[in-house]
Amino acid sequence: MAVYKRGYRRYAGPFTGRWTRFLVLPRYAWRRLYQQRLVLLLTILSFVWPVLCAGFIYLTNHAELLQGLEEEFRQFIQVNGRFFSIFMYVQAGFAVFLAALAGPGLLAPDLANNALPLYFSRPLTRWSYALARLTVLVGMLSVVTWIPGLVLFGLQVGLAGGSWLRANWSLGAGMFAGFLVWILVLSLVAMASSAYVKWRVVAGAVSLAFFFILAGVAAMIDSVFRVNWGHIIDPAWSVNQVWCALLGVEMPPGPGAGASAWALSVTVLLLVVVIERKLRPVEVVS
Amino acid sequence: MNTIPVVELENLKVRLGRREILHGITCRLGVSGTGKVVGLLGPNGAGKSTLILTLLGFLRPSAGRARILGLDCQHSMGEARSRIGYMPENDSFIGDMTAVTFLRQMGELSGLPPEAALEQAHQVLFHVGLGEARYRELRTYSLGMKQMAKLAQAIVHGPELVVLDEPTNGLDPAARRRMLKLIADMKNEQGMNVLICSHLLRDIEQVCDEAVIMKDGAIVQHCNLEEERRSNRHFVELEVTGDDGNLRAALPEIGAEGVPEGHGRWRIVLPPGVEVEAIWGLVERQNLLVRKLTHRRDSLEEIFLKAMGHLAQTPGEGPPSPRSGFGEAG
Repeated sequence: MAVYKRGYRRYAGPFTGRWTRFLVLPRYAWRRLYQQRLVLLLTILSFVWPVLCAGFIYLTNHAELLQGLEEEFRQFIQVNGRFFSIFMYVQAGFAVFLAALAGPGLLAPDLANNALPLYFSRPLTRWSYALARLTVLVGMLSVVTWIPGLVLFGLQVGLAGGSWLRANWSLGAGMFAGFLVWILVLSLVAMASSAYVKWRVVAGAVSLAFFFILAGVAAMIDSVFRVNWGHIIDPAWSVNQVWCALLGVEMPPGPGAGASAWALSVTVLLLVVVIERKLRPVEVVS
Repeated sequence: MNTIPVVELENLKVRLGRREILHGITCRLGVSGTGKVVGLLGPNGAGKSTLILTLLGFLRPSAGRARILGLDCQHSMGEARSRIGYMPENDSFIGDMTAVTFLRQMGELSGLPPEAALEQAHQVLFHVGLGEARYRELRTYSLGMKQMAKLAQAIVHGPELVVLDEPTNGLDPAARRRMLKLIADMKNEQGMNVLICSHLLRDIEQVCDEAVIMKDGAIVQHCNLEEERRSNRHFVELEVTGDDGNLRAALPEIGAEGVPEGHGRWRIVLPPGVEVEAIWGLVERQNLLVRKLTHRRDSLEEIFLKAMGHLAQTPGEGPPSPRSGFGEAG
């Protein structure tokens, strides 16, 4: 029977489980995200560098192709911690722009259109809503960060063999953990800025500015006070320190990986507080 | 028989900042599963919205307890929320979604499987009169259409209780009638319980079975409108010419009681089962001429004004009112 002839009847069928409901928001959000051309374009562009890196890995594992190159250059082109750190820097840059482009579109419209009471009047808590939105960003950024990273790692293992894996497994684990830290910071910054500003475009600009402004302030502190601990307030720099430690690469001068990890934890905590305060179904003015 | 009240409040106190908004409210509203419409009335700042937000679990009580469909609003809110629908007062939607997608998503969030949610979304949009506009983005809707879309999202999952906050706000008369008819249908045809918060007395009077009047964070009157309507049928205002000195003594003949107000005017209370025709017969036997005979309408407006303290008592009624279905509460 045609739907317009049926009339409304109360739903009396079975209900889905809690986890199925939790995944509803990410499912709809991903569909809407990849309908945006810019997001799609940036995602595709972000695969260029992994493809180049894959070519590089292939090259380094085929000695016959390197015949005739100088020994010094052959030593330089090796798949090691430095190689993966360079791969991570480039992909991290793409992730920043992707988060700034797509992140605010997840939260700001809900806040601007007062949609939160509709969500929270359903079996969905504030935390599960925030977690669902975080899942969207983590999923989207994973596609351009640790997933291609692990594919490259796997390619290297496949070409270089088990001995290389035994000697360098920490690179894969470090890359995975390092990217997760970066994704978490980026996602929370995008969510906090859109929760605070509520205006999608401005929220995107704010989440980009967050990194540039903090980097500028950190540089200012270092030069004014003639110290090198100022960079601790710059999350990008702190993440870099952590990455260097994870990949066994030489760190730039300044606070070590432990202090940087603490600084990142504080940043994450502050961002969570901002999100917690803003994601409320009703705003109470006391 | 299921006698779980739709809403049960026990000494409920709610604070916003340092201000106490609800001052220890106690009451039981409606009976779950019976299809009752309960109206929540009160002037601005009475605490109606605070009460609704507390029932939805958006605000935390500072003391006391609130239950909805027998479930605690603090500890069992997850389960309660899958059984209620909420239509907020203000614009609440996701602008760049079509109505069908929006409703489907809301249905799925309430626990409907995707196919069922899509089917319900289409059905409910036709039901509220948005069938032709269901593939339009919500931001292109007029105010009246948005109100209907908000109602649609509240009932898409077939809840047991629907909480409507000012559902007729911004609607033209035709749309208002349609909204009230939809609310009546929800009660009569779907057996849903409805809790309406409104400042429009006529809307409440038209569709509600019970009304709760709030003032300064307390319930000042809780009346059963069904009983009010029934009891109103037994109050008669009579004006006669001629010697009515014996009328008072004659009224018990038909089981009625009356009070003379001078100049031939009487207020008469008929017992249940006695129709107004009996008055005509009695007056004829007393050789009196009837100049005026009306059923008195003790409207919700009078009850509201009394509760607000703007009216000492309903004209012609002896103090205090015993007719309220539940009397004062809170």
